[in-house]
Amino acid sequence: MIQRKPKTKLPVSENGGEFLEGEHTYGSINDRISSIVLNQNAQPAPWFLLFLTGFGLLQVLGLAVAWLLYKGVGIWGINIPSGWGMDIINFVWWIGIGHAGTLISAILLLARQQWRNSINRFAEAMTLFAVSCAGLYPLLHTGRPWVAYWLMPYPNILGMWPQFRSPLVWDVFAVTTYATVSALFWFIGLIPDLASLRDRARNPVARLVAGAAALGWRGSARHWQRYETAYLILAGLSAPLVLSVHSIVSFDFAVGIVPGWHTTIFPPYFVAGAVYAGFAMVLTLAIPIRAWYGLKDMITMKHIDWMAKIMLATGLVVFYGYILEVFFGWYSGDRYESYVIWNRLHGPYRWAYYALIFCNGFAPQFLWSKKVRQNLVVLWLLCQIVSVGMWLERYVIIPISLHRDFLPASWGYYTPTFWDWAMFLGTMGQFMLFMFLFIRFLPMINIFEIKDLLYRKLHAGGHGPGHHANGNGHSAPDSATVAAEHAAAPAIEPVD
Amino acid sequence: MDNTQKPRLDLDTVRAKLAAKTGPQYWNSLEELAETPGFLELLDDEFPQQMRPMSGGLDRRQFLTLAAAGLALAGLSGCRYQEQRRAVPYVNQPEGWIPGKPLFYASAYTQQGFANGILVRSNEGRPTKIEGNPDHPASIGAVDAITQASLLTMYDPDRSTNVVNEGDLSSWDTFIQAVRASLAQQKATQGAGLRILTETVSSAVLADQIKTLLAQYPNAKWVQWEPMSRDSVRAGATLAFGQNVHTQYHFDKAARVLSLDGDFLLTMPNHLRHARDFSDRRRVRRDTKEMNRLYVLESSPSITGAMADHKLPLRAGDIEDAAFAIAKALGVDVGTNANAGGSVVPGPWIGALVKDLQANRGASLVVVGDQQSPTVHALGHAINAALGSVGTTITYTDPVEASPGDETTALRELVADMQAGRVQTLAILGGNPVYNAPADLNFAEQLTKVPLRFHLSMHEDETSALCQWHVPETHYLEAWSDTRAFDGTTSVVQPLIAPLYDNARSVHELLEAMQNKARDGYTIVHDYYLQNYPQSDFEKWFQTALHDGMVPNTALPARTVALKPGLGASLTARPAVGASDLEIIFRPDPTIWDGRFANNGWLQELPKPLTKLTWDNTAQMSLATAQRLGVTQEDLAELTYQGRKVQAPVWIVPGHPDNAVTVHLGYGRTRAGHAGTDAGFNAYALRTADQPAFGNGLTVRGPVGRYNLAITQQIIKDESVNDAKVIEAVKDRHPVESATFAAFLQNPNFLQENAGEKETTPEPASREGQNKGGQGRHEPITLYGTRDHDYPKNPNDPDDSFGAYQWGMSIDNNVCIGCNACVMGCASENNTPVIGKDEVMRGRAMHWLRIDNYYVTSQAKPISNPETLFQPLMCVHCENAPCEPVCPVAATVHSHEGLNMMVYNRCVGTKYCSNNCPYKVRHFNFYKYIAGQPSPEKTGGGYDNPSLKLVVNPEVTLRGRGVMEKCTYCVHRISLARIEAKKEGREIRDGEVITACQQACPTNAIVFGNIRDQNAEVTQLKTEPHDYGLLAELGTRPRTTHLAKFRNPNPEIEAGVETREG
Repeated sequence: MIQRKPKTKLPVSENGGEFLEGEHTYGSINDRISSIVLNQNAQPAPWFLLFLTGFGLLQVLGLAVAWLLYKGVGIWGINIPSGWGMDIINFVWWIGIGHAGTLISAILLLARQQWRNSINRFAEAMTLFAVSCAGLYPLLHTGRPWVAYWLMPYPNILGMWPQFRSPLVWDVFAVTTYATVSALFWFIGLIPDLASLRDRARNPVARLVAGAAALGWRGSARHWQRYETAYLILAGLSAPLVLSVHSIVSFDFAVGIVPGWHTTIFPPYFVAGAVYAGFAMVLTLAIPIRAWYGLKDMITMKHIDWMAKIMLATGLVVFYGYILEVFFGWYSGDRYESYVIWNRLHGPYRWAYYALIFCNGFAPQFLWSKKVRQNLVVLWLLCQIVSVGMWLERYVIIPISLHRDFLPASWGYYTPTFWDWAMFLGTMGQFMLFMFLFIRFLPMINIFEIKDLLYRKLHAGGHGPGHHANGNGHSAPDSATVAAEHAAAPAIEPVD
Repeated sequence: MDNTQKPRLDLDTVRAKLAAKTGPQYWNSLEELAETPGFLELLDDEFPQQMRPMSGGLDRRQFLTLAAAGLALAGLSGCRYQEQRRAVPYVNQPEGWIPGKPLFYASAYTQQGFANGILVRSNEGRPTKIEGNPDHPASIGAVDAITQASLLTMYDPDRSTNVVNEGDLSSWDTFIQAVRASLAQQKATQGAGLRILTETVSSAVLADQIKTLLAQYPNAKWVQWEPMSRDSVRAGATLAFGQNVHTQYHFDKAARVLSLDGDFLLTMPNHLRHARDFSDRRRVRRDTKEMNRLYVLESSPSITGAMADHKLPLRAGDIEDAAFAIAKALGVDVGTNANAGGSVVPGPWIGALVKDLQANRGASLVVVGDQQSPTVHALGHAINAALGSVGTTITYTDPVEASPGDETTALRELVADMQAGRVQTLAILGGNPVYNAPADLNFAEQLTKVPLRFHLSMHEDETSALCQWHVPETHYLEAWSDTRAFDGTTSVVQPLIAPLYDNARSVHELLEAMQNKARDGYTIVHDYYLQNYPQSDFEKWFQTALHDGMVPNTALPARTVALKPGLGASLTARPAVGASDLEIIFRPDPTIWDGRFANNGWLQELPKPLTKLTWDNTAQMSLATAQRLGVTQEDLAELTYQGRKVQAPVWIVPGHPDNAVTVHLGYGRTRAGHAGTDAGFNAYALRTADQPAFGNGLTVRGPVGRYNLAITQQIIKDESVNDAKVIEAVKDRHPVESATFAAFLQNPNFLQENAGEKETTPEPASREGQNKGGQGRHEPITLYGTRDHDYPKNPNDPDDSFGAYQWGMSIDNNVCIGCNACVMGCASENNTPVIGKDEVMRGRAMHWLRIDNYYVTSQAKPISNPETLFQPLMCVHCENAPCEPVCPVAATVHSHEGLNMMVYNRCVGTKYCSNNCPYKVRHFNFYKYIAGQPSPEKTGGGYDNPSLKLVVNPEVTLRGRGVMEKCTYCVHRISLARIEAKKEGREIRDGEVITACQQACPTNAIVFGNIRDQNAEVTQLKTEPHDYGLLAELGTRPRTTHLAKFRNPNPEIEAGVETREG
């Protein structure tokens, strides 16, 4: 699809379009992206609104956590039999959202999908912040969070190791590895851009910070060669993590014997769900931001179209999972399994199940239509539905399976409390705050990779995927070239 | 002081000052008189309280000096001369006392005037647990929930600690002077204005004291009032025999039992003995050929009805009709009432019943409930006589009570006297009549007309509030007394601890003081027995009686009494009542009894049998009645009875008779304490002296609101009543295996072969192989082969690394009566916290042991009268425990003796273990429950409370916030037994380790032991053909297994005539 002949000017396409639109030079790309960071006086109004919302909700998080630590997990709605509730629901939800970033960065990189270049930085940052929100939950859901470090293997005088058979220990490894590798990957990808910022910043503080963070990047060929190698290695490391993290998170349930949890379908279905939720969140953020910051040339309708298609594909996998769960419930002949399905369909939480099927089963079907994929408002709303749906999926799996398990005498009911919601909103605040700080202080789009795209566009002809074997901007101009070209490029006003 | 600087004493000044003063002056020195500066200085030095306030501020040295002095002197406040009293006589030799090793003392708990013999454990001088006294006839080693929980009342932080006069603190001396002054006035009229109000008294010492007092004041009156009065029992006996005799039931001799509204397994006196005797004839083992049969006609669902082979729910009033019908069918002379009854019970039912009873002449027994009318009691006596039961299954003795009489009449007279101003001094010794006297007597209103009224009680309660004087009473474990058991056996109640509060007095001490005497409690009791039981070696005899917990040879001998001739003629049937007239039934609460335990958190949180309700009482009714009245679960309804109204939450109880509403007494206290005040509604407000047990004419208006109830078995609350699919799901799982006894006789291996008349759907193939017939070993199918912790291995095999002991438990569902004794035993032993109503509602109940209650309905057993199955369930100590592999920090691990152990210190509280536990027997400390969080005022306080700290069993760790906890198989008891065995160089004997639940169980349904020992009782039970492992198909290999439940229905009734439609 990207073999299309380049044109000097590409209209904003209604039928696919390109991955880089508008008339750009290397300099204009640099300007457009870095000016968001460098011109601190020109942030769009929504930034302040959303930053303040995030900041306010972060205070709610602080309050919710403080009260939790003071009182205990009793402030939540969890009970016996539903020992897990919104704590683990939100953990899985956030972790799932975090999946798109690494998928875009690593797997699409390895698959040589050039179109990822416009969205990878942004998605990776989203991953990190989502994981930071997710990480709070397993820590704080323990009855005694001050000893939660016992889940880590560390030499201690007790001679005690974690109990390695427990999926919760696997979780600790999976999530910490994922967070570490994602952070590294994100940071290494940032280095050339930080160098650009360093070179262009007029503010001495910004220059100092960007300079220190750029680790002395000068854009030499040797730097580029090492960068490429390191980036590829990290991509190689991250790619299996995309699959493993959510698989392991799903083991928290699949390893348990609880009817509704104990199923082999969980790992693939969780991974697909994670990608699904992740892309929904990328779109949720990308659609308004590209408008506010004038980035429509770089995050084009084509990107949006493709992301919507990935959502559709993963959404179908997830829906298939739901169908199979019902089938297994019936086919197993097991009274407990079949009751789980009956209870989802007819039990006290049936509203959640039907809402889930609507959100994740029916709503994504609209994405078959190109009109819907190109209608930003509808698509954005669909993304919200998907996010709600993925939250409901975990709600259906966790408390609804737990609240009625084997012995009817121990059945119960789970209702989230004010503090459950406060903490959830609080982590949303944390996510928003981090995200909008990132947008303001770091280049949200990978500058040099976009320039690579431009290079390919300008030196078009053989634009096929086979042409750029390294799949990345190894031939992108270094920062010095950029600076030189910038002088000749028409000035682009920063967007207000 | 430096004399040279002292100013001279100016005598003129002294004279002037003296002249200025009027009246007598007292002085020590001229200096004082003159108030010279030197003298004032001296005064300052001598009496620091008159020191100038430290206005100049402190320097560092001064501060340190004062701080050090303050610290040093603070210790002195503990220095107080302790009065020496004989509080705890050692039954065991004192030299055998080892710190850390608990001692047990025999004592007795009294309720309704009847004693339960108990052994009280004392850890370093503080009573920490109550167990049954195996030698005592009413206890036979078992103990009920209320008796066990009575311990907590002693440590209740809300107990009154001071003599109170009109709301102000006063002292004992002031009080007794006031009383003596009043009594002195009474001397003139020989006590015409003196009344003594007590609860039912069976204490010989107390009766002796009161009679002595009455001898001094011949015109005074002694009134007894017990809210759970047994007046109609006494009246029934008088009606039948012309004299008040005491009836004793012998279930051990009864092959057929018919209960006419008699809850003999829980709320009737002597229920522990009844339960033991009844269960002994019900136990099913592989070679059992006989099983008793229980017919129950009952008005309010009880655990006795749940145990019945045939149960008919009838309105309490209709039971009289049924009794007439049965009597008539047996040929008893019912006089002119020949046409009474009949219609309420299906004819064939009565025919079959009567046939069955007659076929077991001499081995059948008819029990009549305490709340039934005298007529039914008289009919019961006549029926028993007609069945030849007298002398075998039923015997008569003299009354046990010290002064039996019609308590309601006596109270009515007392109120009339108060109203007429004939009462000048009213001594209320125990009880709480303002709260629990019949509403129509207006006791509270008339009480205030008495010039001097005083109340001795443990709490400053509703009655105390209306008396000028309140005197704190000792708890029965703090004071000397005596009491009598159901069969007359006398026990000396010995205290285990000096009264926690100095001002508390026992009733004996108060009466002694009223008679201007000053013997202490011990001397009063000791002297009484010295006089009445003269022995050659009295002290030894007395010590032996204390040690054994009973006085020898005091059981009452059986008497022969004859039915009054013409009994039938003297019986009058009740006036006709419309079939749909709404009846109200008053019952004591199965946990907090008549309200005296309203402030007892252990009992408030104990799930009531059948309803699993905590912290509240309800208006209970059948589904049909609720539908007719237009109310449903947790609706608030307004009950109006004889013009009085209360609002009560509705609770639908399967098996409740239609057109009747049961209300439980004991709630709605206004001055109970932190835990009990304002819990539930006050059913006493509807109860009248004429109709203390039940009556017609109730109207229900509803719903007038909603009211949330805390139910521990939440499925009961949710949908069991009307969601057929949920009922289906429960049935389909048949968590309790059950069958008819006939089916068992036909094929004892029915569980393995899925044969017999199982009342549940046939097993799918997945359960095959669960039981190897008769081997008692559960061998679930597994993909993975046998695991290395399989047991038992060859003890002679040197490679066998497994301990000599493999602990296991067997629970016999067939004799479990669901009485909660085990639940309370476990809570008391293992320090499980009380968490309050809100937390229970959130599904966080902390009892390690629960009794699951399942209803079974079928074509023959509609929802109006379902079968009830109890299944006690605690951690079953799975060999393949699902909780263990999921714990990330190895906080729950397996011991080499097969215990699934919980390491509290290691637990981080992920709750994954509980999620993965198919039995949901793990409990989590969502808050710091031991400290009473989240609301100590709603739980009666936590174990951080200085007073409640004392009740804690030191052998069991208190669990902090954020950790999981569960049944340990009483591992500390195993350790104690192991230490003893090691000291003696032997193995632990079978039966040496008795878990707390097992100890309390009145029916011996719980057996614990070493399943590696082939001869151990528990091992034998596990080889029974009807032994099954709950959810064993999951491959958990539970160490606790259950024995199936059997019913022994009468084939003639089972044929389909049992149930009435509607």
